[in-house]
Amino acid sequence: MVVENLLPPFQRWILLALPIWLGVILAVLVIGLFLGWLAGALERGPMAALQQVVRALRQGYEDFVLRLSFGRILGLAYLAVKECYRRKVVTVFVIFLILLMFAGWHIDPANREPAVLYLNFVLSTTTYLMLLLALFLASFSLPTDIRNRTIHAVITKPVRASEILSGRAVGFAVVGTVILLAMGVVSYLFVVLGLNHRHTIAPENLVPMGEGQTAEGTLTGLTTLNYGHRHRVYVDVGGEGRVEVSRGHYHRMRIVGSGENVRYEIGPPEGFLLARVPVYGKLEFRDRDGLDTDKGLNVGDEWTYRGFIQGASPAALIWTFEGLSPRRFPEGLLLEVTLGVFRTHKGNIEKGVLGSIAVRNPKTGLYVETEIFESKEFAEAAEIKQLFIPRKIVKPTSVQIIQRKRNTPEGIKLSPPDEKLYSALTQKEEFDLYEDLTDNGRTEIWIRCLEPGQYFGAAQPDLYIRARDGSFVLNLMKGCYGIWLVMLIVLAYGIAASTFLSAPVAMVATIGVLIGGLFRDFMIKLALGQTYGGGPFESAYRLVTQENVMSELEPGLGTLLLKMADVLARGFLFAVAAVLPPLGQFGWSDWVAHGFDIPWDHVLIRSIQTFAFALPALVVGYFLFKAREIAE
Amino acid sequence: MSGGGTRNVPEVVVETRNLTKVYRDFWGRQKVRALKALDLTIFRGEIFGLLGPNGSGKTTTMKLLLGLLFPTEGQALVFGKDATDVSKNERIGYLPEETYLYRFLTGEETLDFFGRLFNLPAAIRRQRTAELLELVGLTAARKRQVREYSKGMARRLGLAQALINDPELILLDEPTTGLDPIGTRAMKDLILRLRDQGKTIIMCSHLLADVQDVCDRIGILYQGELKELGRVDALLKMRDITEIRFSGGDGALVDEVKAAIERRNGKVHFIGNPTTTLEELFLQIIRESELHPGRRARGGVPSEQSALGL
Repeated sequence: MVVENLLPPFQRWILLALPIWLGVILAVLVIGLFLGWLAGALERGPMAALQQVVRALRQGYEDFVLRLSFGRILGLAYLAVKECYRRKVVTVFVIFLILLMFAGWHIDPANREPAVLYLNFVLSTTTYLMLLLALFLASFSLPTDIRNRTIHAVITKPVRASEILSGRAVGFAVVGTVILLAMGVVSYLFVVLGLNHRHTIAPENLVPMGEGQTAEGTLTGLTTLNYGHRHRVYVDVGGEGRVEVSRGHYHRMRIVGSGENVRYEIGPPEGFLLARVPVYGKLEFRDRDGLDTDKGLNVGDEWTYRGFIQGASPAALIWTFEGLSPRRFPEGLLLEVTLGVFRTHKGNIEKGVLGSIAVRNPKTGLYVETEIFESKEFAEAAEIKQLFIPRKIVKPTSVQIIQRKRNTPEGIKLSPPDEKLYSALTQKEEFDLYEDLTDNGRTEIWIRCLEPGQYFGAAQPDLYIRARDGSFVLNLMKGCYGIWLVMLIVLAYGIAASTFLSAPVAMVATIGVLIGGLFRDFMIKLALGQTYGGGPFESAYRLVTQENVMSELEPGLGTLLLKMADVLARGFLFAVAAVLPPLGQFGWSDWVAHGFDIPWDHVLIRSIQTFAFALPALVVGYFLFKAREIAE
Repeated sequence: MSGGGTRNVPEVVVETRNLTKVYRDFWGRQKVRALKALDLTIFRGEIFGLLGPNGSGKTTTMKLLLGLLFPTEGQALVFGKDATDVSKNERIGYLPEETYLYRFLTGEETLDFFGRLFNLPAAIRRQRTAELLELVGLTAARKRQVREYSKGMARRLGLAQALINDPELILLDEPTTGLDPIGTRAMKDLILRLRDQGKTIIMCSHLLADVQDVCDRIGILYQGELKELGRVDALLKMRDITEIRFSGGDGALVDEVKAAIERRNGKVHFIGNPTTTLEELFLQIIRESELHPGRRARGGVPSEQSALGL
């Protein structure tokens, strides 16, 4: 699974995020106050406008902090719930059910990754429906009340604008939560039932294995073809049966009876619905000269997610893991790897490209290669390669001392330095993962490409230790919670927009926020000049003139004007991106679909982010609502 | 004027000072000057009527008092607080011109919802809801959604919601609009009853008879300006005309009175039998119909023609 934005641990994230958030809030506050003062000054003069601004601030404080009544918020939330119920919002759930009914016809259970397909479908459908629901509820409710003047009877009661907005947000959130919960339960049932299948195998289909292949007397055969696949079955002489993994799952097998009356019962599929808990390391690259670098080679992809290393050279992909201990991983390390493979020549196209995996002690430099493996390009995600590094490494394929080399201003720095090299370490027959290859819980996993002219590529999340498997149901709930968070953001921005815009315009504005939020990362890159082809104006010029994005523009007045316009546009883009929620990072559907446990740190960070964006949006909505004449 | 008890100086409930409202277009250009420098004081316990033709500024005044509009100049104070101060609404009830209620709520839910906005405890909400539904005659329809209500029923429910907090000041915008004569009379009776309970009522209406029937004081607005202000009885008094009403006597007595007036250089404008109002006649017929369910009007010939023997 591709993870482009792997978040830092919560403690580190909050220290980075909090000052930025406070800065943005302060900037929005200052700009908002200035604009409010300016509008007032044009109408009533500067001093009166200043008094008005101060009064608005004081009222805002009172309305949000001192006088906020939860009773009234609940009353308004109750109204919102009633409105949804009587206006048959539950129709959304019915649409979802209908979509699932028809989806059953189109989702191919014979797909190579059926679980991913099923889960992606239900989670995407849920996301789109919930976002649409939130969009319509938030954008239409308040403008409809204002247009129908039903708001007059409310606003002439002792209700504060903050309560009107919060009540609506709470009410719609409750409705959304109930529908989302129902969708989550139905999704789970749909996936489980959709993936459920059985195979059978008759005793006569089991034949003895060929000589030398495995233990003598073992029977093997293929199950019936169901859902587009078969499994290979092994039955050993002890009467134990095993079904091999195929299409990302396996089945348990029970042998009933014996002799001529023997019967093989194959159970339901297992292993489809996973929640792997990965432990990620930090990825560094070693180039073909043996020097450490932060980036790998670019093999021509525009998408620079993976960095590549050259085969048959000192180049390596190096992941450093921390906090390893025998208590945590007593048996050894179960690694799962997804590697990118790039061939500069065809080679043996029938086979994968050979690579090696090794463990290195960062302190001593002892490097123990444990396995040679094959890696194929276009490998299916369901076939993530599993490599196991046992606690006791016996008969390693290679043992050596390797020094890391890093270019520093003082020259090349070696680690460990020459004076601390102990070649005697390589003399052992057997290596203990923790005693020989780990330094204070820290170890390095090296992957190298062994074939000349071929390349391996990886990103940091491409190799991880599979620590354990979490609960899939809990992970699905976390996935739904992610959808819920996005729904809250849409509700908050939609309600804020609806305080001063008409319903359709508020909806378009909220859609704008949604789209902007999805492209926020790109906007920030563009604003910071981290993209090719210049800023928006320069890029537009290059598009029109079909100018290469890498070539410099001809110096001159036109170019100067373009660059100046881009400086302004970048500032504007940065300001807009700062108030947009990073919705592109909120989707956890891929995590659930590909069977990765969503880390609790992510859950916490996204929750805080949601409220960090939703609450200011509601506060801005409050001031806009207070500033407008309801009966106009 | 009840004056709110023992004090000699009546308490001011509503005060406007130089209250002005200018409607502007999107570009800030003046569209219309809806209210011009209104100075008005309304005291506790009185029924104050705002009169005026369409576009005279009645509803604008009402909305400025409620904080639904912001003044362009001047100030509106309600219970001594700025009209935009939400806390004043604790003591206010408002019946809008049209009954804008949530059509998806039932009558009972509507009152309960508005009761929640006053943070009334559940038990009190239930009690007030039952009382008010009874008061406006909607107990039987309490479980029906407002969308199923007739205009008159919705109006009555609107009045009930305006009274949910037992307000001290009630603003009624065209309170009798959409009501049948019985409902109109009931509304007027209720307004008088509320006044007797010490509440202050501000109403605006096109129906001059309604205003005349219930209001203690009126203000007449025209093109945003206050043209007349005072007690209804004083304003309506025709000081140069004397009305004598008597019963008994005969035609000769009438002639004697007429002659006496003329002898003293007086001018007789009208001598005849007074007529009741159509409202009174209608209510009398309804009352009699309820007492004598089978009785019907004689067909075809109007009673006046019949009396003339045509």
